[in-house]
Amino acid sequence: MKSSQTSDPQLSNVTVGGASRPPRLNFGHWLGVIPFFVFSGLFLIAPTLILAYRSLEGANGGLTLENYQQLVSDTVISAYAMSIKISLTTAILGGLIGFLIAWVVSMGGLPPRFRLITTTFSGVAANFAGVPLASAYVFTLGRVGLVTALFKMFGVELYKNGFSLYSFLGLILVYLYFQIPLMVLTILPALDGLKREWREAAENLGATPVQYWSRVAFPVLMPSILGTMILLFGNSFGAHATAYALTGGLFNLATLLIGQQISGDVLHNPGLGYAVAMGMVIIMAFSILIYSILQRRSERWLK
Amino acid sequence: MSYLSISHVTKQFGNTVVVDDFNLEIEKGEFVSFLGPSGCGKTTTLRMVAGFEIPTSGKILLDGADITDKAPNQRNVGMIFQSYALFPNMTVAQNIAFGLSVRKESREMITQRVDEMINLINLEKHATKYPYQLSGGQQQRVSLARALAIHPQVLLLDEPLSALDAKIRVSLRAEIRAIQKKLGITAIFVTHDQEEALSISDRIVVMNVGVMEQVGTPFEVYNFPTTVFSANFVGSLNNASAEVVNPASGFISIDGVQFESAVDLTQRKSGDKVRVAIRPERLSFASEQKKANVVDATIENITFLGSVVRIRVKIGGTKFNMDTFNNPFLDLPKIGAVEQITCSREAVLVLDE
Ligand SMILES: Nc1ncnc2c1ncn2[C@@H]1O[C@H](COP(=O)(O)OP(=O)(O)OP(=O)(O)O)[C@@H](O)[C@H]1O
Ligand SMILES: [Mg+2]
Repeated sequence: MKSSQTSDPQLSNVTVGGASRPPRLNFGHWLGVIPFFVFSGLFLIAPTLILAYRSLEGANGGLTLENYQQLVSDTVISAYAMSIKISLTTAILGGLIGFLIAWVVSMGGLPPRFRLITTTFSGVAANFAGVPLASAYVFTLGRVGLVTALFKMFGVELYKNGFSLYSFLGLILVYLYFQIPLMVLTILPALDGLKREWREAAENLGATPVQYWSRVAFPVLMPSILGTMILLFGNSFGAHATAYALTGGLFNLATLLIGQQISGDVLHNPGLGYAVAMGMVIIMAFSILIYSILQRRSERWLK
Repeated sequence: MSYLSISHVTKQFGNTVVVDDFNLEIEKGEFVSFLGPSGCGKTTTLRMVAGFEIPTSGKILLDGADITDKAPNQRNVGMIFQSYALFPNMTVAQNIAFGLSVRKESREMITQRVDEMINLINLEKHATKYPYQLSGGQQQRVSLARALAIHPQVLLLDEPLSALDAKIRVSLRAEIRAIQKKLGITAIFVTHDQEEALSISDRIVVMNVGVMEQVGTPFEVYNFPTTVFSANFVGSLNNASAEVVNPASGFISIDGVQFESAVDLTQRKSGDKVRVAIRPERLSFASEQKKANVVDATIENITFLGSVVRIRVKIGGTKFNMDTFNNPFLDLPKIGAVEQITCSREAVLVLDE
């Protein structure tokens, strides 16, 4: 009964869109999306084009590849490397931890209210970044932070054991604060998309739970998991405010480097900044491409 | 001892009894349908045989072994779901191979069995396709092949055809029946479609809110329903309350009009309230030689249904449907006319009120 209801609208769609009427361009249909096109034109495409142009502009005007040649310097390469390293680490860690949380929430027999609490908290935390996030961490894990003090009470001196909030490890902890919830939010629908019948069919055919997970559930989820991890990668790769607020721009990250070159007084070299930014745009575009390929595949499976 | 024995099985969810003292013996190679309205416990009963639900009480024996509490993956029972439940990340061939590969069968054996199954369901051209590239009917055939590949002792089908459109439904049910006969496999088929159950089964279990109403061959269930529910649910039916007039001679009276029934009424007393059921196709216009059960009827309405013409008549104060086969020379009476109609003594079923 239920499925005949869901299949009927699909059937009628096919006949209307596919066979009888050829699609016609109707201005009315497009009216609603004009704000979107105007917005993306103004704030995405135009800035990218300007950026591309500026990155090719020499210090004294004229087009040149000079800026790009400077990319192969130690500072720039190590900034990219550090950005990628942090983004990869937080994407993988955030992805794994987030997946486990989402899995517990959706599979385990926890009360429904727990799920609501988790998603609400994740919705807030995933968007918590920049100065407020950095301050929150300074208050808790900074040199005189609350948690640091708590550890001290139990005889563990975090900062004497090599920990620093203003280091690679510290930055990862801070980034995970928004990476994990983002993973939870994006992977929960995919976990919900696993049909109960798949598990039962597998069991019925003799599969153990491990076999079901390794041969059916995990492969089905894989595009979503990888896709979301790429999203996390991009999320952390482009983060600027949090890192800046926490380390005061002293940490060598690609985003911070751009800031120094474009608006800094000491290292002022806008052309180089633009080129570094262009490099980031390309890396981001590439991740989004892979993301959308994986996303399309998982949609097909989970529909 | 029968092959599959479900004895005194009861299932409760909380305080609600969903299946109540279910008893059924199924022979090897038999095709049994569970027929009943939505929510009557068909799926729950099937899921207890598959091991997805554990009976609150009662036993299930398969080939002599008690499987009541066995885990689903320890039973050798094939299940077909209404929604096909094919694994979306696997091709047709990989889906069919799944049960064998989790059993760690040899590669040659798996390949051979998969080929066999693909031939059986005629999907040779689609072996490397993914489920989303197949039609609903094709997907259900794959799921049939996947279930059969492991040589299950029993095949369980839970409304396997109800998501498909009418034409495919009819052709696939014939295909399922043919394959079941060919392999000699024992099968339980759940449906709420009486025509489906009548056409495909060796035996039908008519179910109503958790209890079995009647078990019998399609012929028995249709022609000799034993309860009002089963009479009403299987086929269309006229039924009216009546009173026993003479138990010895089989006379009953519907609202003052006497009918003679072939049913043995000697257990009842004169004046007992009963329910009389007559199939519409058993009523006909009376010809001269008919003697029993000839009554006057007023023609109230005539509906053309294609191969059948349904005539609504009033006998005494009671309205009946009468079905007669359509033919171009049919001489239909006028609305409002009074005609003599009749039915045989065997057509008059007498059930408990
Ligand atoms: N896990 C469960 N918990 C509580 N109640 C349940 C559960 N499963 C089934 N029921 C109830 O048991 C009754 C029988 O359900 P079942 O699915 O067996 O019916 P069915 O005959 O298969 O109906 P349908 O034709 O709609 O599929 C229904 O009232 C249903 O709500
Ligand atoms: Mg059901």
